[in-house]
Amino acid sequence: MNIFFLILITCFLSISAKAREIGETEITTEDGIEVYQDEKYYLLKKNVVINSDNFILNAENVKINFKNNLHDITELNAKGNVKFNSSEFKIKGIGDNLRFEVENEKITIKGIDSKLQTEDIEMYSDGLIKVNNLNGEFSLKGKNSKLINENIFIRGESIDGTFSNNKDKKEITFLNVIDEKISYVKNNDSEMYANKINFNNETSLIELIDNVTIIRNGEKVTGDYGTLDTKNNSYKIKSNNQTKVKVIIQNNE
Amino acid sequence: MNFFLHINRKLIFILGLVILIFFLFVIFTKQISLLNIKPEINKIRISNADIEKPKFAINNESKKIFITANEGNFLDKNKILLNKNVRFKSNDFSIETEKVIFNRSEQTAQSKTKTYFKAENTTISSDGFDIFEKGNKIVFYGNSFVILK
Repeated sequence: MNIFFLILITCFLSISAKAREIGETEITTEDGIEVYQDEKYYLLKKNVVINSDNFILNAENVKINFKNNLHDITELNAKGNVKFNSSEFKIKGIGDNLRFEVENEKITIKGIDSKLQTEDIEMYSDGLIKVNNLNGEFSLKGKNSKLINENIFIRGESIDGTFSNNKDKKEITFLNVIDEKISYVKNNDSEMYANKINFNNETSLIELIDNVTIIRNGEKVTGDYGTLDTKNNSYKIKSNNQTKVKVIIQNNE
Repeated sequence: MNFFLHINRKLIFILGLVILIFFLFVIFTKQISLLNIKPEINKIRISNADIEKPKFAINNESKKIFITANEGNFLDKNKILLNKNVRFKSNDFSIETEKVIFNRSEQTAQSKTKTYFKAENTTISSDGFDIFEKGNKIVFYGNSFVILK
């Protein structure tokens, strides 16, 4: 009887394998497709699923721009409960809208609870997350924007920066965080608050501007302007004429 | 001991069952094809097509789409119902289906039968289609399935 079941299973597998062959991309929609040949785009409507060997995308509606033929995709715009996962680029994300520019390798995710996750980094925002895979530039705009990796936690309404081109591990080489209320950056041993926080890997300096607070080793220092040198782990804080630098030494015991 | 007593009876039974299913399958498919042929012969005899092997074209500024079918029936002055092996063909793509209403004056086409679109490295299957704007806009209806190579 085992042979009989084996034959049955082989038959079922061969039927299901006919759906998509290796190297092909399969797209299914529930409400059809509109192809605009002169304008060079097509619309995939309702419960769209795009599935290839190393990429899967789900969305309510998708617009695809093409160059010459339908398979020659230049840009993909997905709307409504977008979910995607690329095993090749080790990247996945969710959001209300997704825009993927194929040639420039630019990804933009918009909407509340947007999320973009790579192997090393997690990005969250209620506004916009933009990443350029070619030059490493990234941008997060809107409420609840935050970036998390193994060594750093960044929170602010506007986070702009650049990742290193190191393929093994992405590191932040430039950072500019702005929040009218307060921006927040936490690294291995320090917590930093300010309206504006800048970081440049070449100078190894973290610059803190307006409403500055640095918390480290039970020490809380506040002022109007501060710098933290990540190389020698030292920091300086200045204040405007009217105010003074305030140091609070906390007892952790 | 007799040599045949060594053969596993279960194995013989299963092999027999597989061969039987195979023959039943062959007979069944032959039956279906025979049943299909008979009505087709009858249909040819009572065919009342207005046009046999009709040929039309949709002329676009950039391309020409040729339309062929086995049969065509005039629905009115401009609308023609194309039947059986309906095929739209341009330099870029082809569409195959069974029934299409083609409007000669508006240069539009509409189908509600299973449709198969083929272009370079692309296939689309759907529950029907519309062609508007002289072939610039093609709408595929219902559950649609695309394969990009």
